[in-house]
Amino acid sequence: MDYLLIQVTNGAIIGIIYALIAVGVTIIFSILKIVNFAHGDLYMLGGYTAYYIVTFLGVPPLGALFLSMAGLFLFGIVLERLFLTPLYSDRTERKDEYGLIVTFGLAFFLRNTALIVFGPFPLRPPSFVPGVVHVGGLAVTNDRIVAGAVGVLLILALLYFMHRTIWGQALDAVSQSRDSAAIVGINPRRFNSLAFGVGAALAAAASALIAPIYSLSPGMGVLPNIQAYVIVILGGMGSVLGSIVAGILLGEAEGLFTAFFPDPTRALAYTNAFGVLVLMIALILRPTGLFGRRHVRME
Amino acid sequence: MTGDVLVRGEGLRKRFGGIAAVDGVDFAVARGDLIGLIGPNGSGKTTLINLLTGHLAPDAGTVVLGRATVAGAPPYVFAGLGVARTFQLTQLFGRMTVLENMLVPGLTRPHSTWPGAAARARAYLDFLNLSHVMHLEAKNLSGGQQKLLELGRALMLEPTLLFLDEPFAGVHPHLRDELIKRIQELHASGRTFVVVDHDMESILRIARRLVVMARGRKIADGPPGDVRGDAAVLAAYAGLQ
Amino acid sequence: MRGLHIYIALAVAVLSLVSARTLNAYWMHVAIIAMFYGILASSWSLLAGYAGLFSLGHMAFASLGGYTSALLVQWYHIPIPLGMAAGVALCTVAGGLIGWVCLRMSGPYLAIFTLGFSEIVRIVLSTEDQVTAGMAGLHTAPLFRAPTDLPYYYTAFGLLLFALAVLILITRSRWGLFLRALREDEQAAAACGVAVARFRILAFAIASGLAALAGGFYAHYIGILTPSLGSLDLMAVVVVMAVIGGMERIPTAVGGAFGIEVLQETLRAYGQWRLVLFGIILLLTMRFARNGLLTPLWRLLTGIGEARRPAPAPRGIGPEGSRP
Repeated sequence: MDYLLIQVTNGAIIGIIYALIAVGVTIIFSILKIVNFAHGDLYMLGGYTAYYIVTFLGVPPLGALFLSMAGLFLFGIVLERLFLTPLYSDRTERKDEYGLIVTFGLAFFLRNTALIVFGPFPLRPPSFVPGVVHVGGLAVTNDRIVAGAVGVLLILALLYFMHRTIWGQALDAVSQSRDSAAIVGINPRRFNSLAFGVGAALAAAASALIAPIYSLSPGMGVLPNIQAYVIVILGGMGSVLGSIVAGILLGEAEGLFTAFFPDPTRALAYTNAFGVLVLMIALILRPTGLFGRRHVRME
Repeated sequence: MTGDVLVRGEGLRKRFGGIAAVDGVDFAVARGDLIGLIGPNGSGKTTLINLLTGHLAPDAGTVVLGRATVAGAPPYVFAGLGVARTFQLTQLFGRMTVLENMLVPGLTRPHSTWPGAAARARAYLDFLNLSHVMHLEAKNLSGGQQKLLELGRALMLEPTLLFLDEPFAGVHPHLRDELIKRIQELHASGRTFVVVDHDMESILRIARRLVVMARGRKIADGPPGDVRGDAAVLAAYAGLQ
Repeated sequence: MRGLHIYIALAVAVLSLVSARTLNAYWMHVAIIAMFYGILASSWSLLAGYAGLFSLGHMAFASLGGYTSALLVQWYHIPIPLGMAAGVALCTVAGGLIGWVCLRMSGPYLAIFTLGFSEIVRIVLSTEDQVTAGMAGLHTAPLFRAPTDLPYYYTAFGLLLFALAVLILITRSRWGLFLRALREDEQAAAACGVAVARFRILAFAIASGLAALAGGFYAHYIGILTPSLGSLDLMAVVVVMAVIGGMERIPTAVGGAFGIEVLQETLRAYGQWRLVLFGIILLLTMRFARNGLLTPLWRLLTGIGEARRPAPAPRGIGPEGSRP
C-alpha cells in the first residue's frame, strides 16, 4: 500500500513536470504552427545549464533554475532567429516539411553536442533542500516537494502572464490570427521569438527541477518529448489548464503502471513504452486534432 | 425532371459541430443539365458538392450514382463512375508540371496507357490554350490559368458529370469569358455540369436550371426565369447578404 | 549526349564491380556500409520525398528485419537468405499495417506516430534481453565464411541494385506519379481517382520491406546486432543522407548516402563530432539549399538529355504565359 502511495505521489510530481514541457510545446505550436521536435533537447540543455551554474558559479539551486530559464529563453530566441525565420516567408514552400526536418535536425545536433560536451555519464546536481518529509507513513524527499511546488508556481505565473499582461494577451491574439493581430498593430514576428523563448525556458525549468531526482543525461529529452505530445493530444486542446490535468493524469497512469507491472526488473522500461503506446493510441483516435484548434498551416 | 438521372441525393444531412451545413436536401442531376447552384455564403453549397463527390460522408441520406448507392464511398470511386470536380480554392499539384497534373487523372482510368493519356492531355491543353505552358510547374501559372488547368484535369477523367466550385472567382474578365465559352462547348458535346459561383451574371449566362440554397436547405429549383422572381430567394439574399 | 546520367550511372556501376578486387579490406568495408545506407536512404526517399510521408520509423523496420532474420536462423537453423526473406516479408506486412493505421495522419502527426513506433520497438528489443541479448548484442550467423569481404561486397551491390530497380521502376511508373500527387494534395489526388489509401499503404509496405532487406544484410554481415540499429540517431543519419543528397529523387538520395558514409569514415578520428557536423550540414542544407546538394547536378545531367528531345517546350515563360 505504501508503495502504491509513493507511486501516486511521484506520478503527480512527474505529471507537473510533463505539463511544464507540454505547455511549451503548445505555445510554440500555437504561434509558429510547428511541432518542435527539439523540445526534449532544449529540456536536456536547461538541466545541464542549471547544473553547471550550481557547480561552477556556486549559485544556490533555485537561483540556478531561474538563471537557466533566462539562458534558455535567450538561446531559444537565437535558434528561432537562425533557423525558423523561413517559416514566416511567403517564398518558403512546404513549411510543414521544413519545420519538421529543421527541428528534427536541431534535436540531433543538440543531443550529440551534449554527449561530447557533458559526457555520456549521468550527473546529479545537489538537492534544492536536502532531507525527507514524513507525512503519515509516507516519506517524500524535499526535492520532490520542491519540484511539484515550483512547477505549480511556474504554471500559475505563466497563466498570469498569458491572461493578465499585455504581452501575454498579444501572444494569444497572434496565436488566433496572425493577420488580425498585424492589423491591430502587433508585430507577429516578435512573438515568434517570444513563444519559442518562453517554451524553451519552461522546458529548462522542468529539467532543472527533475535533475536532483532523476539525474541528467544527454538522451534524457527523448521520452519526455514524446510524453509532452501525449499530454497535448489528450488534454491540451491548446489550453494550459488542460495540459496540467492531462500531465498529472499521465504521470499517475505511468506511476500506477510501474506499481502494478508484474515483473519489477522490466517495469521501468515498459513504463516508458506505455507512455509511447498511449501517444500512438491517442493519435489513432485523433489523427489531426492534436491541438484542439485544427492544424492550420501558415501558407 | 425528365431524362435519365446521373446522380441523386436524397435527404442529405451533414452537421459540423452544432451547425447543420446541409439540412435535408434532395438534389438530382439529369443527363444534359447545366445547373447553377447559388446561395449566400455559408448556405451549404460546397458541403453539398463534397457529399455528392465522396469528399464527405453524409450523416443521413443516400447518394445514388446511376444505379449504385455510393454514400460514404471514397472520392476515387466517384471519379471512377464519371464524376469529376474542381475546388473552391484551386488545388493543383503545385510542384508537378502542367502535363503531369493532367496525367494523374488520365492514368487512373482503367486500361489507360501512358502515350494514350499524354495524347489526350495534349488535346485538352490545346483546347484550354495551355499547350505553351505544358512543361511549367503548375504553381508558376497565373490564377486564371490554374482554374483552366483544374478544369482540364477534371476533363481527363472523361466525366459525364462535372462539379465546378467557384470557377470564376478571382479570374480576369477576359479569361472568364473564355472559361464560359469552354463550359458551353463542353456542355454542347454532351457533358453535364453543376456550377457553383457568386458571379450571378456569369451563372445566368450559362445555367439552364438554377438551384438556390440558404441555411443548408434548398429553397428554389427551376428554370432561371422562374427562380429569379421567387420571393423566397429574394428574401434569402436580402436577409443574409 | 542524351541520357548522360544513365551512362554515368552505368559507368559507376561497372567501375565499382571491376575495382572491387583492388580495394583494401578497410575501404571495402566502407563501400559495403555505404551500399547498406544507400538502400535505406533511397527507400526512405520513396516515403518522405515522393509520397510526402515523413516517417521516423524507417530504422525500426531495418532493426526488425535484422532481428527477425538473426533469430529465425538461430532458432530454426534455416538458411540465411530464407531468414532475410522472412524479415522482409514481416516488415512489408508490418509497414503496410503502420501505413494503414496512420492513413488519416499527415505531416508532423505521422512523424510523431512513427517516432513512437520506433521507440517502442527499441524499448522492447532492449528489454527482452533473454531473447534479443539486449544492449549486449545478439551474435548473428555470418552470411559467408570467406577470407575477404568480397562476397559481401557483391551481395551488397546486388541488393542495392535490386532496391534501386524496384524504386526506380515505381517512381517512373504511374504509381510514382500518383505518389507525388498524394504529396502535393491528397484531396485533389482523390478527386482525380487516385485510391489514396491503397497508395499510402503501398509506399509504406515497399519502403519498410526494403529497409528490412538492408537490416537483414547488415545483421549477417556485421555479426552482432544491438537495438541501437533502430535508434533515433541512426534514423537521423539516414535523414541527413537523403536530405543532403536530395530526397525527392532516388539517385540523389543514394549519392547523399555514399557521400556521408565516406565523410563518416574519413573523419573517423573525430568520433562523436561527426554527428554534430552532420547535424550542422543538415541544418545548413535545409536553410540554404532546400532541394539537396546533388539535385542541381542531377538536373544538369538529365537536362542535357532533355534538351535534345523533339519539340522542346518553351521555357522561361512568365506566370501570365503571354510573353510577346
